[in-house]
Amino acid sequence: MSKDFDKYKAVVIGGSAGSFALVLKVLSNLDKQFSIPIIICMHRLKHVRSGLVESLRMKSKLPIIEPADKQKIEAGNVYLAPSNYHMFVEFDGTISLSIEELNNQSRPSIDYTLSSASVAFRDRCIGIILTGANKDGAKGLKDIADKKGFTIVQDPLTAEVDTMPKSALRLMTPDLILSPDGIIDFLNKLV
Amino acid sequence: MEIKTFLEKLSERTPYNFCDYSDNSIYRRIQKMQDDYRMTLEQMLGKVGEDPSFINKLVDDITVNTTELFRDPDVWSFLYDRLYPQLQKKNKLTFWHAGCSSGQEVYTNMILMHQLGVLDKCRIIGTDINVNMLQKARAGVYAKSFNSSYRNNFDEVMHRIGSKSRFEDYFDIDEANDTISVKDFLKKEPKFYQYDLVTNRLPFAYKVDVVFFRNVMIYFKENLQIKVINTLTERMYQGGSLVLGKREMLPLTFKGRYVKDGMYYTKL
Repeated sequence: MSKDFDKYKAVVIGGSAGSFALVLKVLSNLDKQFSIPIIICMHRLKHVRSGLVESLRMKSKLPIIEPADKQKIEAGNVYLAPSNYHMFVEFDGTISLSIEELNNQSRPSIDYTLSSASVAFRDRCIGIILTGANKDGAKGLKDIADKKGFTIVQDPLTAEVDTMPKSALRLMTPDLILSPDGIIDFLNKLV
Repeated sequence: MEIKTFLEKLSERTPYNFCDYSDNSIYRRIQKMQDDYRMTLEQMLGKVGEDPSFINKLVDDITVNTTELFRDPDVWSFLYDRLYPQLQKKNKLTFWHAGCSSGQEVYTNMILMHQLGVLDKCRIIGTDINVNMLQKARAGVYAKSFNSSYRNNFDEVMHRIGSKSRFEDYFDIDEANDTISVKDFLKKEPKFYQYDLVTNRLPFAYKVDVVFFRNVMIYFKENLQIKVINTLTERMYQGGSLVLGKREMLPLTFKGRYVKDGMYYTKL
């Protein structure tokens, strides 16, 4: 691979239906030394709002943070969009939150998180779209690609629900299409 | 024209000052306005000069007006268990919802006061920058299907506080028009005033026991956050409480003596 991986300032991940188990798997298999901040925007079912962070914390080797508004993004941490808030990355490397209208029937909206990261980190951003039953995230991943960031889409054949990866593939051509294990390998090689 | 210049000119020509709203949010909203109206920033400024009613539209679009009944059930049940028992004994209770939008949380809190049997001694004030939202708040009528999570949130809070009350005790449901309306006995108490936290003088003279300021300052830069929180807390009794949004914190550079108990801050 020709890209220089030292330069990346964040890995931004979006997923919906089926993505929770996958995110759990990725976080439990990441190298402890993984220091690039990971920013995750996952749709949550309204009736299972609680328990998600706790489950991730039990399995993840990296600290899981549900950020407060204006919290600074720091190396070695995983930031998870809080339930019922949109989550954005700001120019100054902080997180901002909003309760504004749903986007793609979703709050948090993956497009919002990914697009704001593309503006803040430009070509120093890695974007990943996982399984999901919604097109949210496709446009955001395209924004990262347009800013010359590195983009990955989960192979739809390996996705529990393939709407989200397929929507992304319709809109743009990612640098890589990977299976869940491929995504884990890829990330661990960045360390 | 840059958005920054647009906001400066807008603050000179209208009563509204959005210069210290946080960048990402306001840039995105203004971008959306330009797309929706197919107008440049210059054209929008021109229209403000010609047509004063366009100002209200701009305020509508720039400000975030989303609110929900019983948003964050765990916050409300926490207040019910931990904060309200201390307040119950007082002869008069004053609540101020700053940035109340269409009023759902005003009514949420009143329902809890009714549950405690102290609604009669409550004074309830809601303020917002947006006159259109205040009209909705006074009317207390909300779209039903759009807000389908209301009932779940209501039931969850009632379950948490051990109450058997039903949604229908507080709301009239109109299936044909797809609305829910707050019952009259709740609607008669709250006073709603237009008030811009950034520029105006306060429209009431009372001291306040609890200030709700939820999910408003996420749209402000830190300097404005501090200024506004100072204004809010000046009106609080000593020992009064400030309730922020679930993922909001007092800015680190804020100077004031407060102690945080879970979901709220108390003024020492």
